[in-house]
Amino acid sequence: MKSAGNDIVALNVIDKQRTCQPVFYSKFITPFELGLYRQPQMPFDIFVWLLWSVKESAFKYLKKGDANLVFSPSKIIVQDIEVALEFAGDRWEGDQSVASFFKGSILYDMHTLYFKSVIHAEFIATVVDGENTFQHVYWGVQLINESDSVSQSEAVRLFVLNKLNSLFPNHALSIDNGLAGYPILFNNGKEMDIPISFSHHNRYVSYSFLNLK
Amino acid sequence: MDRKEILSELKKVLAPYTESKEMLDGINEQTDLIKDLKINSANLVDIIIDAEAQYNIEIDFDAAEKMYNVGNCIDVISEKINKPA
Repeated sequence: MKSAGNDIVALNVIDKQRTCQPVFYSKFITPFELGLYRQPQMPFDIFVWLLWSVKESAFKYLKKGDANLVFSPSKIIVQDIEVALEFAGDRWEGDQSVASFFKGSILYDMHTLYFKSVIHAEFIATVVDGENTFQHVYWGVQLINESDSVSQSEAVRLFVLNKLNSLFPNHALSIDNGLAGYPILFNNGKEMDIPISFSHHNRYVSYSFLNLK
Repeated sequence: MDRKEILSELKKVLAPYTESKEMLDGINEQTDLIKDLKINSANLVDIIIDAEAQYNIEIDFDAAEKMYNVGNCIDVISEKINKPA
């Protein structure tokens, strides 16, 4: 399956106290997943939002193959989480200072997916793919000046188009939302075979796309 | 509590999480929480927990997954409120 899925969580606007209450995290984290928590790796509130970010990314990835799919985070199960070395040479665009890196796998129904996440002081960014090498996956995070939805939408499109224009310099690229509600990339009005995904939260926007060329 | 009363209370639950106050005033059962009210998906769990407190009910995520538009929210809340003890 060719798809793309990503998510970003702005850590400055989460409610840490509520996050750590069982009534909150038990809505989408299973008992099995709670067993994956290792205290020295990260604070518990970061663990909770990492799992949310992974599940949301997986949902976006899967939704492109099933337009009727409904977000059921407790059915998207994170199988393992491990510390990753810095994503050197990665197709990542964004601040990596004071960041840590994690990777792992996800099971949904019969699908196994893979994730990798950057945990920064101010955000958690996640990308999901069907291949654990992420060889063809591009992704990025950008801080913007405004947090309203119009500014977020404009900024994330400009951000990803800057990247795509550098990869496809002689194209007339544009992005529009399809009927299913996810973004689609066009060249001269013709749909390109490059699945893309957007996410935004407060003043952070992020993209991912799969480019097999 | 009928659907109109549930909707009235639901506006209070949704208000802290939407930037689109004008849209909130005019919501109907077809209003989508994310697309129309511009609610960030990261706040969906907050909304479930706030709805639980507002209506004194418990909503598990199997039910919550249906709560993507206002009409579905009212369906879930109505079912929980009217569930025999």
